[in-house]
Amino acid sequence: MDDVRSRLIRCFAAVFPGLTPDQIPKAQPATVIGWDSVASVTLIAAIEEEFGVEFDVQEIANVLSFAKLSEYLRSLGTASAE
Amino acid sequence: MKLVEALEILKCPVAEGASPFSVYLVSSFTPLHLQTFLAAKLCKANPELLVHISTGLYGDIRGNLTRMSQSNSSAAAIVLEWGDFDARLGLRSLGSWDPEAAGEILENAQQFAKFLDTLLRCMPVKFPVSISSPTLPLLPISPSPSWNSSKFELSLRLCVTSLLEAVSELENLQIVSSEQLDAASPITKRLDLKSEYASGFPYHLPHASELAHRHAKQLLPLNPKKGLITDLDDTLWLGILGEVGVDGISWDLEHGAQSHGSYQRFLQSLNRTGVLLAAASKNDPTIVREALQRSDLLLAGNVLYPIEANWGPKSESVNRILKTWNIAADSVVFIDDSPMELAEVKATHPDIECLLFQKTDPGAVLDLQYRLRDLFGKRRITQEDAIRQQSIRIAGSFRTDNGDGNVVSDDFLHKAEAELTLDFRKQPLDPRALELVNKTNQFNLNGRRWSDAEWLAYMQDTNSILVLVSYRDKYGPLGKISVLAGRKSGQSMEIDVWVLSCRAFSRRIEHRLIQELFHRFELKEIVFRFEATSKNGLLQEFLHFAIGQAPSPSVGLTRAQFDSINPVTYHNVLEPRHG
Repeated sequence: MDDVRSRLIRCFAAVFPGLTPDQIPKAQPATVIGWDSVASVTLIAAIEEEFGVEFDVQEIANVLSFAKLSEYLRSLGTASAE
Repeated sequence: MKLVEALEILKCPVAEGASPFSVYLVSSFTPLHLQTFLAAKLCKANPELLVHISTGLYGDIRGNLTRMSQSNSSAAAIVLEWGDFDARLGLRSLGSWDPEAAGEILENAQQFAKFLDTLLRCMPVKFPVSISSPTLPLLPISPSPSWNSSKFELSLRLCVTSLLEAVSELENLQIVSSEQLDAASPITKRLDLKSEYASGFPYHLPHASELAHRHAKQLLPLNPKKGLITDLDDTLWLGILGEVGVDGISWDLEHGAQSHGSYQRFLQSLNRTGVLLAAASKNDPTIVREALQRSDLLLAGNVLYPIEANWGPKSESVNRILKTWNIAADSVVFIDDSPMELAEVKATHPDIECLLFQKTDPGAVLDLQYRLRDLFGKRRITQEDAIRQQSIRIAGSFRTDNGDGNVVSDDFLHKAEAELTLDFRKQPLDPRALELVNKTNQFNLNGRRWSDAEWLAYMQDTNSILVLVSYRDKYGPLGKISVLAGRKSGQSMEIDVWVLSCRAFSRRIEHRLIQELFHRFELKEIVFRFEATSKNGLLQEFLHFAIGQAPSPSVGLTRAQFDSINPVTYHNVLEPRHG
């Protein structure tokens, strides 16, 4: 498992403790119980801190799923980030 | 701590039987990640607590403070920011910053400070409260350039400082140190404006973590250490006594030894707060005695007790000191300038905190003093603190007069002229009782630590009984040395709490106390809510002896059983004069 993926899984697992490892890669607001605005803020804050990135407020709504966040983080070149 | 780590801590299942610990977190902003960090830090500080954080309403600081004061929480954390003193000092208000508004802002700030002062003093339930002054930078309201401290800014800061200075006298209130927070969280890296505008949470995560850490530390403080063992040569003073002689050792600027002088002064001040001090030195005892009599020592020579000066391993000296003090190794700090000696002591006593005295680095010596202040720090000095050292000496004389035997003879106890004072009053509640319960390990019924709120609730139960025991004999007073609390039901009593200070062992106080309970309350049975801990071996021994087998939880002791094993006691039992 690559670094971005494993660290992103950790963030999702921390924010949504009810998700099983199988469910995390498919996670998006519509399919996860309890994914409300507070959960989104917490998830984004955890990811920003974990990856040392800063999301543009306007673009957050467009990346709110595991797949899109994964893709977005890769596009920022964070794969090698510590 | 990172946010993801905090969330992971909160995900962990809570231990079975965990005590509820609810904290009211007061702020006028959305506490969001601060709440997460605070809960995680509290869980980490005490995994046996079931932590719950309540919060108030956004933008309603006065209402939240009022709700906090009326809540049934175990404790509260108040996180103030400038906008609480006047909305125009916050970022979400667009109220006027015209120069003429300054007077009104100051007036509002003073009114809020007065409100908070009154509320904190009038709180009906005195649960522990941790409060922090505004942590974010003041906005550029003042017409002065930012490099200039304007009268407006100074007046605002004075308003906050005066408030905190005034309420600092309240026993249940603890104030987060701004200076320490500044060192850990640079003021320019605290405000997250993007987050403030987007979600109403004004802090960058590292600042939220630091702030939560400090509040948690205040709400669940560690028990302070009790004793410090110091090396002498090149630590308490500069120089090797055996080489330079009594007149050759130094601790002043003139001899380039100021760090040793400041260390002496620090130890003296620690001793005045009830910390036990002893010396362990590889030295000739005669010359050490002579050196400690030098009148210019900043540490009075007689506050070191005992003094172990010999050529044996330091771990053995430490052993003897611990035996004399009769306290657990994890309550003790050992200081030496030799890493090898520290390692030797640590290998034998892994629970002792071993710290290096870096004689060539004055900055490190000052840092050591900060560290020691944190390890031994206490907010108030009690009467017991003042007599602790004397008590240890008395215990030493007690043992010496008894021929150093482990079993104290009847003749010796008979001649000791012992007096036990049993205080059954629950009002006013003596804070020493809870302090003793929460720091005693060796003779402790179950090792349970109580929060102020839990203790208060227990005492407010009309069925609960509290006995606070003081002891003195011809060697002097030991102060308040035992606490017993339970509930009576018919001719039975359940004991939930029982501790006896190690200073008071070997005097049959435990026997006499149980005897008094049976007589005074006409009991047929006492049930002990016992739980074995890694440290309460002495209590286990007592119960084993009393019931004739290894104790189990909720072990019962009948009057007949007790009468058959109760030794003769010689205490004169008194009750304190009321009023």
